[in-house]
Amino acid sequence: MDRRSFIRLTAISGTGAALASCGTPENELIRFVPDEDIVPGQAVFKPSVCPLCSAGCGLTVRLMDADADVMRNGKSGVVRILAAKKLEGNAAYPVNAGALCARGQAAIQTTYHPDRITQPLKRSGQRGDGRYAAMSWDDAIGEVVKQLDALETAGKQKALAFFSRSNRGHRSALIAHFLARFGAPASISYDIFGDEVLRRANAISFGREQQPTFDLPNARHVISFGADFLGTWNSPVSQGHGYGLMRQGRSGVRGTLAQVEARMSQTGANADEWVPAKPGSEGVIALGLAHLLMMEKLRTAAAAGRAGAAIDGWSAGLPDYAPERVESLSGVSTARLTRLAHALAERTPSVAIVGGAPLAHTNGLVTALAVNALNALLGSVEKPGGLFFTPQINLAAASKAPAATPSPSESLDKAAAAAQVVLIDGANPLFTAAPEWKLREALQQVPFIASFSTFLDETTAMADVILPDHTFLESFAEALPESGSLTAVVGAAPAAMKPLHDTRATPDVLIEISQKLARPLNLPWMTFEEMLTATFMALPAMTEGSDAWTDAQEKGGWWGTLPARLVTQAAATPAATKPIAYAEPGFDGDATQYPLHFLPYSSSAFLDGSLAHLPWLQEMPDPITSAMWSSWVEINTATAAKLGIADGDVVEIASSHGTLRAPAVVSPGIAPDVVAMPAGQGHRTFTRYASGRGANPIEVLAPARVEGTDALAWAATRVKVTRVSGADGSLILFAGGSREEVRGRG
Amino acid sequence: MSQPAHARINVDLLRPLLRTSWRFYFLVAALGSIVLTALVSWLSQAFFGFGVTGIRWPVYWGFYVTNFVFWIGISHAGTLISAILRLVDAGWRRPVTRCAEVITVFALMIGAMFPIIHLGRPWLAFWLFPYPSERLIWPNFRSPLVWDFFAINTYLTGSVLFLVLPMIPDFAVVRDKATGVRKTIYTYLACGWRGTPRQWHRLETAMQIMAIGIVPVAVSVHTIVSFDFSMAPVPMWQSTIFGPYFVVGAIFSGIAGLLIAMAVLRKVLHLQDYLHPVHFQNLGKLLLVMALLWGYFVFNERLVTYYGNGPSEMAVFWRTQRESFAPLYWTMVICNFVLPLVLMGIRYFRTITGCVIASLGVVVGMWLERFLIIVPSLGHKYLPYSYGIYRPQPVEIIIAIATFAAMMLLYVLFAKLVPIISIWELKAGRASASLAEAVGEGGDARPVARGEANL
Amino acid sequence: MPKWGMAVDLDRCDGCGACVTACHAENNISTVGADQAARGRAKHWIRVERYWEGEFPDVRLKFRPVMCQHCDNAPCEPVCPTYASHHTPDGLNAQVYNRCIGTRYCANACPYNVRFFDFFNPSWDKPLHLQLNPDVSLREVGVMEKCTFCVQRIKATTIQAKSEDRPVKDGEIQPACAQACPSRALVFGDLSDPESEVSRLSRSPRGSKLLEDVGTKPSVTYLSKQ
Repeated sequence: MDRRSFIRLTAISGTGAALASCGTPENELIRFVPDEDIVPGQAVFKPSVCPLCSAGCGLTVRLMDADADVMRNGKSGVVRILAAKKLEGNAAYPVNAGALCARGQAAIQTTYHPDRITQPLKRSGQRGDGRYAAMSWDDAIGEVVKQLDALETAGKQKALAFFSRSNRGHRSALIAHFLARFGAPASISYDIFGDEVLRRANAISFGREQQPTFDLPNARHVISFGADFLGTWNSPVSQGHGYGLMRQGRSGVRGTLAQVEARMSQTGANADEWVPAKPGSEGVIALGLAHLLMMEKLRTAAAAGRAGAAIDGWSAGLPDYAPERVESLSGVSTARLTRLAHALAERTPSVAIVGGAPLAHTNGLVTALAVNALNALLGSVEKPGGLFFTPQINLAAASKAPAATPSPSESLDKAAAAAQVVLIDGANPLFTAAPEWKLREALQQVPFIASFSTFLDETTAMADVILPDHTFLESFAEALPESGSLTAVVGAAPAAMKPLHDTRATPDVLIEISQKLARPLNLPWMTFEEMLTATFMALPAMTEGSDAWTDAQEKGGWWGTLPARLVTQAAATPAATKPIAYAEPGFDGDATQYPLHFLPYSSSAFLDGSLAHLPWLQEMPDPITSAMWSSWVEINTATAAKLGIADGDVVEIASSHGTLRAPAVVSPGIAPDVVAMPAGQGHRTFTRYASGRGANPIEVLAPARVEGTDALAWAATRVKVTRVSGADGSLILFAGGSREEVRGRG
Repeated sequence: MSQPAHARINVDLLRPLLRTSWRFYFLVAALGSIVLTALVSWLSQAFFGFGVTGIRWPVYWGFYVTNFVFWIGISHAGTLISAILRLVDAGWRRPVTRCAEVITVFALMIGAMFPIIHLGRPWLAFWLFPYPSERLIWPNFRSPLVWDFFAINTYLTGSVLFLVLPMIPDFAVVRDKATGVRKTIYTYLACGWRGTPRQWHRLETAMQIMAIGIVPVAVSVHTIVSFDFSMAPVPMWQSTIFGPYFVVGAIFSGIAGLLIAMAVLRKVLHLQDYLHPVHFQNLGKLLLVMALLWGYFVFNERLVTYYGNGPSEMAVFWRTQRESFAPLYWTMVICNFVLPLVLMGIRYFRTITGCVIASLGVVVGMWLERFLIIVPSLGHKYLPYSYGIYRPQPVEIIIAIATFAAMMLLYVLFAKLVPIISIWELKAGRASASLAEAVGEGGDARPVARGEANL
Repeated sequence: MPKWGMAVDLDRCDGCGACVTACHAENNISTVGADQAARGRAKHWIRVERYWEGEFPDVRLKFRPVMCQHCDNAPCEPVCPTYASHHTPDGLNAQVYNRCIGTRYCANACPYNVRFFDFFNPSWDKPLHLQLNPDVSLREVGVMEKCTFCVQRIKATTIQAKSEDRPVKDGEIQPACAQACPSRALVFGDLSDPESEVSRLSRSPRGSKLLEDVGTKPSVTYLSKQ
């Protein structure tokens, strides 16, 4: 080309290039100044406490720099933040000893969830349709204050209902103070799979209204009645850790496990002997084993002390529980019962565990008392390899604040029906309440509902005002584990990272509300941090030259031997407690019309459904079925063949209280007259990952109660199962085959 | 084997080049649109992500690799027919050689596209080429996929040469007959062919060398393609028999493809005087022999597997023989074994129609055979928890169909531009036949009057 | 030169699946969603296989965690045309994402089916992307990925130890799965050190290799339930 053309070409292309780089979005990206000191590329480790279940495991959080999209003064840009990247178990924390379950790993997704409530909201549509508009914190708090003041003026303080999580700890204590000083009843921590029945039994048998801790590393034989203690029950990480040591932690000694249940749980899969038992018969089996132990003079009745005395006929050696009767009631043969009893007697130390479905039958309390008595008989209570109770700190004694105990609350449905104001803190009872309690209808009638939740779940979607909490990584995280450790643990850690959104820590918001009321409540603390610090100041330091609070902030809590005055003591036997005899379980639904027992269960991924919004957990293959993003119904192989049901077929489960549809999984690990379904899916509203997905087994449950308690007997419903259609694609399995090929099989 | 007179040969075989009817344009448009649809589908795959296919854990190869092996297999038509028949100087090959060689080249081109189509990152396919890269590494020469690259390229080069060389004298014929633009093109293609004895000698020698050389190349290509499977420890893949098994299958499918092509050409281009029933019958007999050979290899493989009774192998074995893949498996057996045996084995059925039916069956059967080698094994390896089921998606089905359309399209275009039967060879054959008649039996079959054969 | 390996004690493993989610969190594995999971695209670098035996009531269920075995005689390595799958001097089977062109031959050759393909470009609903681990590359569409024994942790700890002029202590390097496991069923370490815990466990009479007869020489030893 000639010179002129060359110059022309260069000029045109050069100008074009220069113009092209103008006005590109990257050049307009504003980088705000970071709020904290961050060294790029260098990880920082901070402690925290996992809030997802009652175990209260300790965490170590790995943080590194990240660019967060933010809006400041109406301009969007990025700011470098110290962001949590990975959660690990805190290696020094006694409960979980450095390990962490799948759910704990996924807890980090609560902080970064795309559907978090990021600021206070005011309802802008009809109650329940999920339409909200932004509001300021001052307005939100002002609204709650106004409503509580109205109750005060009308003298209706008792019409305040507070739905909370079931964690024990400082937060619960703060709420109790708040409610007591306001004049409202205690908060209701309804947890369908919570161990209310077991705590009640432990109070009767051992004086401890508390979940038990098991010294598995030193046990030689464990018999578990329905407790999925390696999966979802009580303190799974601590128990899993102990299980590993029980098996292979001692040279030359291998602990063994027997599991008694109607459906093989994840724990049951690990048993050396898996004992299928008729639903609700676990208590009579325990008594049958006790009978055998006493009859064969392997143990003496008196050894069971107070726990034994709670069972009718104990001192006489339980004559009503001979093996033949137990066999007819439970389906477990006398030979097997004898073998199980001998194992308990010979492979010592031995211990019995009970939890889950056995305690959710109408006779659940008796079952728990029976197993407690068995433990006492075996001599496993407070002995190595046996059953312990984690020393509990007496918060009132520690904080020196006057004790504040609100009046006892009604059950969930009654409280909702009577309430004028409902406050919700991290609870979703609309999802887990029995349908016949008509909780939704009750809540519809409540004049004012406010929620502190982070996510728009079914219950929070009924709120008029939402005051979103920080997630645990953004605020003081704390727990008072009631089990999982042989020493006392007071878990607490400051915020690991700065809040991502315009949220506020609920304990501090409650304190602020208490101060702004027309009659201020004068809580003993100005901030939640003050409340925590007060407790820790009463504790001895863990490291020399330091104090407990400084230690706690570095280590993630305090653990060790509590000073005597700070320990919650065991309670004396309640007066006039009649010994209880075994009662056969009662079931809702006529046996001919509803031939199968329905067994909902706490799922590995979602527990009671409160974790269904976390995508890692939705995609995690279920340990038993390998299902992801699905609901399913487990049906025995022979039963399925009789009903013409194949894997993936859609079936209808009908009880006398409701119906649901879900795909079937044909399973050899469940009794022929039982069908089981994991809880967790079937949310009407719960973020993009869980909304409208699957079915909720709780929707067909009868409102049966465990006798002697207020707990829902969720294992007491009978159902019928009918095939609706072939597979509709809703059952998503990760695995292909479920059996290994057997050599030589043609 | 009487062929029409020289002049008529020219007229008949050049007619398609010189006259075009609406049917041609319609066919090209129809086939072209199918191919275009497939191209758009593949581009959408490259754009949206490989996930639009049905590939999944653990069945990571499906339709695309099936098509790859299938078309490389079809490409074995040309070589064996052309090269071997040339080497043994079988006279009846003459009307058939170019049809066959064309199939080879186009089938190879289609087949060779699939290693790119099935890549997760096809824009990096050039990394298979050994060039001094800035990443400072060469391709992994231990990988059968790199062997594929070299083998297929070698075979493609060789086949193109093998096809183009004998076309030169025919290009000269067209050059002499054509006018205008066509004359310029064919002058260029004829490479200055004058038909001198020296040029003829050179051409003959070159053809001989190619014929001898292309046979081992062809055998090695499909053996190397079989190594894509037998080099992986997958149940029913790790078989030492795969090399010859695949080569036999390739020749088998190639002959079937050739028979179909010949039958179609005979009908459409009115070549009844050139492609006689005896051509079909001879190829049909070859088809029968290949069917028996194929049956032998399959029986061998399956008997040995069954006898060995390895658990993972037997799981795959039963999967094809009597479980989910049984319908496809037994269809394959009928198409590849029963049908050819009956139709080609019984003289009454060994007509052109019979040959075509048998060949269509073999084409279907051989496609199924590739599929049944790949998918049942991959979905059923050693750990049952990881079993999986493959379901092809629209993109894969469209592309599979489009390969057949592409083959037809290329063939139609070729037949429009080049005489589909080699004119000079036909005339040479006729010349030597009449010479043989003249001198009686045992005469030197070398055509003395080569110069006459022009043309 | 260390030789990295792992021991999996099946008597300790209780099937809880903590390892599966821990691996996702550490290694930036994208969640594919329900539709893609249904089409077999979920990427669980470590998975807990479960197998039923028998029929009710004499039924058993066994768990077995399976991850890349980092075979000494890896069948996935010779077949990769671009050396994306290759063996490192310290005994790892490395996957170089940038070299991978996605032929997926390696995945076919792997008898353990531990290799996963990126069928789409990964995406994270913001702000879930803030959780991503900066020490692990993101993989684009069309490449294979699999367990790396948390090579980023191996490298970081090795570099740290070197800078402190000391050897790496046994147990100092914990892949995410091993660190999360409550029952301590997964043990990682240096097989070339006969005193390391992984070496000791690998010598156990309960120990065997998975699919030993295929001849891959895996670096993972499984200790059977007693």
